[in-house]
Amino acid sequence: MTLLIQDEYPKKLLRDDGKRLDGRGKTDLRPIKMEVDVIKNADGSAYIEWGNNKIYASVYGPREVHPHHLAKPDRGILRVFYRMATFSVFERKRPAPGRREKEISMVISECLEPVLFLELYPGTSFEIFIEVVDADGGTRCASTTVAALALADAGIPMRSLVTSCAVGKIEGQLITDLSGIEDKAGESDMPCAISWFNDEISLLQFDGKMNRAELDESLNMVRNAMEKIYEMQLDTLKQKYIQIQEQNEG
Amino acid sequence: MMDIKRVISTIEKNYIKNNLKKEERIDGRGLWDYRDFNIKTNTIASAEGSSEVTLGDTKIITGIKYEIGEPFPDLPNKGVCTIMAELLPLASPLFERGPPDEESIELARVVDRGIRHADCIQAEKLCIKEEKCVYILFVDMYVINHGGNMIDCGSVSALSALISSHIPEGKWMENGPEWTGEYITGKDIIKDLPLAITFGKIDNILFLDPSLPEELVSEGRITMSVTEDEITSIQKSGAATYTLDEIKMLGEKSFEIAEKLRKELNFWQYSTNKK
Amino acid sequence: MENNEEPEQDDEFEDEETSREIVAPGEVLTEDVHNFIPGRGAILNKKGDKIISVIIGLKQIKKNYINVIPLRGFYTPQIGDKVIGIITDKNPVKYKCDINAKYEGILKIKNTVKHNKMRIRGNQREEETLEKLYVGDAIIGKIIAADRLNSPEITLVGKYLGRKSGGIIIQIDPPKVPRIIGRNGSMIKMLKNLTNCNIFVAQNGRIWIKGINIEHERLLIEAIYKIEEEAHTTGLTDRMEEFIKNETKRRGME
Repeated sequence: MTLLIQDEYPKKLLRDDGKRLDGRGKTDLRPIKMEVDVIKNADGSAYIEWGNNKIYASVYGPREVHPHHLAKPDRGILRVFYRMATFSVFERKRPAPGRREKEISMVISECLEPVLFLELYPGTSFEIFIEVVDADGGTRCASTTVAALALADAGIPMRSLVTSCAVGKIEGQLITDLSGIEDKAGESDMPCAISWFNDEISLLQFDGKMNRAELDESLNMVRNAMEKIYEMQLDTLKQKYIQIQEQNEG
Repeated sequence: MMDIKRVISTIEKNYIKNNLKKEERIDGRGLWDYRDFNIKTNTIASAEGSSEVTLGDTKIITGIKYEIGEPFPDLPNKGVCTIMAELLPLASPLFERGPPDEESIELARVVDRGIRHADCIQAEKLCIKEEKCVYILFVDMYVINHGGNMIDCGSVSALSALISSHIPEGKWMENGPEWTGEYITGKDIIKDLPLAITFGKIDNILFLDPSLPEELVSEGRITMSVTEDEITSIQKSGAATYTLDEIKMLGEKSFEIAEKLRKELNFWQYSTNKK
Repeated sequence: MENNEEPEQDDEFEDEETSREIVAPGEVLTEDVHNFIPGRGAILNKKGDKIISVIIGLKQIKKNYINVIPLRGFYTPQIGDKVIGIITDKNPVKYKCDINAKYEGILKIKNTVKHNKMRIRGNQREEETLEKLYVGDAIIGKIIAADRLNSPEITLVGKYLGRKSGGIIIQIDPPKVPRIIGRNGSMIKMLKNLTNCNIFVAQNGRIWIKGINIEHERLLIEAIYKIEEEAHTTGLTDRMEEFIKNETKRRGME
């Protein structure tokens, strides 16, 4: 595959003033916008813009399982399908799902399962379809976050929402919420998700090198970030109804 | 209306049919009215051109990507453009996972033929070095919500994405193609504006732009792609049959409707001035 | 047959005990676990020291129960529910029926018996026939068996049940059904009177409508979707009455 412009791998990820290339401080999040009920045909749906990431999620369920042999007699099953559009990345991606997409689908599914009451819906399936139409670092975190919103939007009972964010390292500095460039050219990346029901981590991966102090610090940083994003999720879910109340109850 | 199910109720079928006989459509439109189009372009930062188009409830996001490669031997100075469509399972309980099925292939091919046979994409402008190096443009359409008539929505989406495109300009140097630092834009590569115009048929009544319930009840549909003065593609699908007069009438109507649509949508406002 | 009989459920949206507070999954409803018990839509948190919501909805306190009235949700069949279904399949023993639930409903042939009163030579007789149904037919049925594990079963035997023809069926979010009916049927009575339409609201979120013409039907459909969207607001019945009166005038429909 030949392109005229090559993908950026800047030598320096921190500017002289200590800020990151996009002007952010070490713990600043990129701008995030969320919306629910965006795909009318789905039982529940949500959309997120996180930096340049743009991701749709829609939920169908509970419904009968196809193919039937996958159904479990004592509980429902959750299936997550994370996919990226061909034009969502710098170099056009093949349309068919690759190994990375399948791995991320599985990781997100295992992350969301603990908050669902699958034992109440035997023999059925809940399916979450995630489509990344524009990617710029941290898509699995944004996808998990938007998938949790779509589940809540569908009215599916959940023990709590789930929120996800990543912390990484560039030029020896720990930073929150890596952008695409920082992810590609940086030294490490730790995506993480928390289930607020029991305040426990339900998604955790790590690539790179870090020492024990950095692990502690990273976990603190990511927790702070996830708390902020959680507030946004709650606000998005409720705003839809609050706005209607305000408009009509004057 | 009722949720989309695999079996449409007879009540819904009869309701749509009986009202059509009185020239009434369930959403209050006239027989030859489009639902509202809404177009946004350059929404995808990673793509070299993009659009997000809604037609009623139908929503399609199209992205343009490019590659550099060798031309076809019989067209040594022309770039290549390929159009693909995916009916995402997220868009409808009727869509299944897996490789593109007949419906997505038909969507891609109908939009493709409408564009290909018009003087739309100026393929010579997509040539960097004759016989050696041309652009391959990928126009990939993703259906995000299915509300009926994906073809017309897709055609507007593909066209507006192409017009919004900003592809790195290449020049042939000793060692191969190099970026000049400038961009080829939609204004450079697009000339004609072909549009797909789709009609449904229920009980001998013809109408424009079937919404999803109408589409599910229709015996068939017919799409005509037209530029200002030429028909560039026709696709009849479904079991319905048409008289010669009906086809001639639809041909006439397509030009009228397309011209009106071009004025309303004003496509050239979406071209980019990228430096 | 067209009206609903007395509503079987209270309109919880208009209930005094339902607050205006919107809660989301995982949010704390109260920390007073000594005086309150989690009811519908609520559970104890992991530590057992708080009651939290499991859905997006309106917080409601009824005696010592804390409930959450859902604003979104799917239909779960309960015995006694009236549902509008579409026949999707038939075999010699039974019909299968789409009732907007996670499983299709089963309609056994014996439960499609119709009792027809006939006059033969001056004597009134009752004749039993089977209602013949085809794929695509709409029916109003009653749930006679439903549990988590199996397909729900429905019957067409009973008052106001059976095949439906004419009119149109629309679908709303099942949790909003009580709002369309209203307290003591107030909302549905108002809708019927002002739009000159017959309406049947089923528990599974489907609504059958038949009006004198398509304009009245369109207005009613719009009104129903508006009620669905604003179900959680106060003063809705009055506002809807005003909306319909204004639109009737504006559209020249008098």
